[in-house]
Amino acid sequence: MNGHVPFGVADYFWEEANMRQGLLDQLMETFRGWGYGDVIPPMFEFDSTLSAQYDDRLRSGMYRFLDRDGSTLSLRPEFTTPVARLVGARLHDWPMPQRFCYGGSVFRYLEPQAGRQREFWQAGGELFGAPDPAADAEILALTATALKVAGLTQFRQIVGHIRYYRSLLEALKIDPQQTQQLQWALERKSEPLLEEFLRDTPLRTGQRQAVETLPQLVGENVDSILSLAERHIQNRGMHESLQNLRGIVDALIGYDILDSFVIDLTEIRNLGYYTGVSFEAVAPGLGTAVASGGRYDDLVGRFGPAQPAVGVALGVDRLLVARQRQDGQDAGAGQHRLQPALALPQGSPEALAQVQRLRRAGMHIQVDVNGWGLDAAFLYAAETGVRDVLVWEDGFQHHRRDERGDFVLLGPLEVGGLAGRTEMSREELFK
Amino acid sequence: MTQATVAPFRGQAESDERPLPSAADRRSKQSLLFALPKGRLAQDSLSFLERAELSIPTDTESRKLILPAADGSIGFVMAKPRDVPTYVEHGAADLGICGLDVVRETDRAVYEPLLLPFGHCRLSVAGPAPGSATAHVENPDAAGLAVKPASSAQLDGTPLRYMSQPRIATEYPRLTRQFFAERGVNAEIIALGGSVELGPILGLADLIVDVVQTGTTLRMNGLVEIRTILESQAVLIVNRASYQLKAAEINRIIERMRLLTT
Repeated sequence: MNGHVPFGVADYFWEEANMRQGLLDQLMETFRGWGYGDVIPPMFEFDSTLSAQYDDRLRSGMYRFLDRDGSTLSLRPEFTTPVARLVGARLHDWPMPQRFCYGGSVFRYLEPQAGRQREFWQAGGELFGAPDPAADAEILALTATALKVAGLTQFRQIVGHIRYYRSLLEALKIDPQQTQQLQWALERKSEPLLEEFLRDTPLRTGQRQAVETLPQLVGENVDSILSLAERHIQNRGMHESLQNLRGIVDALIGYDILDSFVIDLTEIRNLGYYTGVSFEAVAPGLGTAVASGGRYDDLVGRFGPAQPAVGVALGVDRLLVARQRQDGQDAGAGQHRLQPALALPQGSPEALAQVQRLRRAGMHIQVDVNGWGLDAAFLYAAETGVRDVLVWEDGFQHHRRDERGDFVLLGPLEVGGLAGRTEMSREELFK
Repeated sequence: MTQATVAPFRGQAESDERPLPSAADRRSKQSLLFALPKGRLAQDSLSFLERAELSIPTDTESRKLILPAADGSIGFVMAKPRDVPTYVEHGAADLGICGLDVVRETDRAVYEPLLLPFGHCRLSVAGPAPGSATAHVENPDAAGLAVKPASSAQLDGTPLRYMSQPRIATEYPRLTRQFFAERGVNAEIIALGGSVELGPILGLADLIVDVVQTGTTLRMNGLVEIRTILESQAVLIVNRASYQLKAAEINRIIERMRLLTT
């Protein structure tokens, strides 16, 4: 036994574990506040189920293994497909819309990078049975709210619409090789590659102008970008996708999050299973998205009656990295580390009864189980960052560590004399 | 069709620049970090930035890892060329300059808005020149594992797909594998860190894939170019998040560079 763990997984402990769990709790609580109910899909499923989504990159990165009966299983690489399966196969006759939220580990066989191991945490929400732009707007607003809850202040949501690009392709009627050329140019935002595409591909004037305009359909000025795009509509699909975006933007006005918006109609990298609006959230200091989502109206129908759906997944690990970089190094340095008080019951049953009462009141208390004297207790307390030591003498005597590290007797323990690790104080830990 | 017809990504629609929310204001002014390649492209990159009227570091020989520009507006890191796309993908640097060959080989998820007018070279397949001494060096240990082309003299006009598993020494394993795989050839890639021309001489490899500028090195080692895999030149790459988060500053740089590229 060498005690190693496999490449791509990690142990989290002490304050880091607290922060992760705490952030996940906060995100889940935010989703619940918007009417999203918890769902806990299995950690692994039939490979065929999880492969029902179309993203090749995701599919090639799945952890697969054989069940004893020979069927192929996969660890979930994301939550959306399992939740879509649940709704399609089992909950299709429950009144729509249905809202679900989740949080937990997902697994992808990829090179680990900042804020992403091969096992990493996602939290997210999915909204089924609502085709209206109001539903897309809710998910976008919920994402912005969750990012703020996570402590990020300067994120941007980059919003695209995959149907705009797909409809443009239909209008252009170009062959797969030319399509590939255009897609490469757009994915890389490469002016030279786009010029090359236009040189190599004969197009009618209107179509050519629509392609030439694409690079300008990126930026913060939502209204002028949509107006510009509207001047180059080639078919019904392009028209409808822009109408849809306008509808979403209108529906967002009340949420007051438009100032974090960037429109990017050339963002087609994450095609995945999206059929309508798609978006990614980025934050300073982290080169990759902290959240991504969009509309996927074709996925539920693979498991049962079709249902429109839109959702978002946030990367918990990446949010932590982004927040740490935003707040500077000291934020992660454990200055908030507050260990539970250490109680020495001195063999008294009454002492343990008192500890139970304090715990019920929300105090976090660890009881000495080694029969320590004061010196041993203070030493352990000092080494592990415990501030409060309670010693039973017909009632708890409260010793507290001062700035110099010495324990000072404050007298009998008073109500409110201990910092509890209740929900309230946990929230304080994060602000 | 002239080049001028394609609008820059993020064009006129952005003309009325909207200020960031006040909380973000302070941080939005933080300077950009620019990753530049050490070695072959270093001097050209700096002269190009200078011609684009961007402030460059005064002392590039310094041992400091991050070099501030003369006016403090941009920070520069001098990185190994292969690391530039990695820095930029992860957001450790906002922008970078490196060769297109490196960008394609490392295959990182970055934006590459502009090709820059320097660092021209090509990534080529090369093999022993017909009749050259190297073509006849025999290494008994390495020979005989696969059917080799009867004579390298035929290579020039012979489809590569006729080759059974050629052994290819290269610093570009990904592009090499891809190039041969597209022709149905399952090449045996021997990844080296440099001096790949030695491969055929020592009998380590049948062919090499390497960047060629003038061809002098190849000729000196008795090698001739057989195919071109990629025409390369310097390219500006941008982190995907920075592209949106620091749009104003990055656009300013792209604009200035574009003036020199068209």
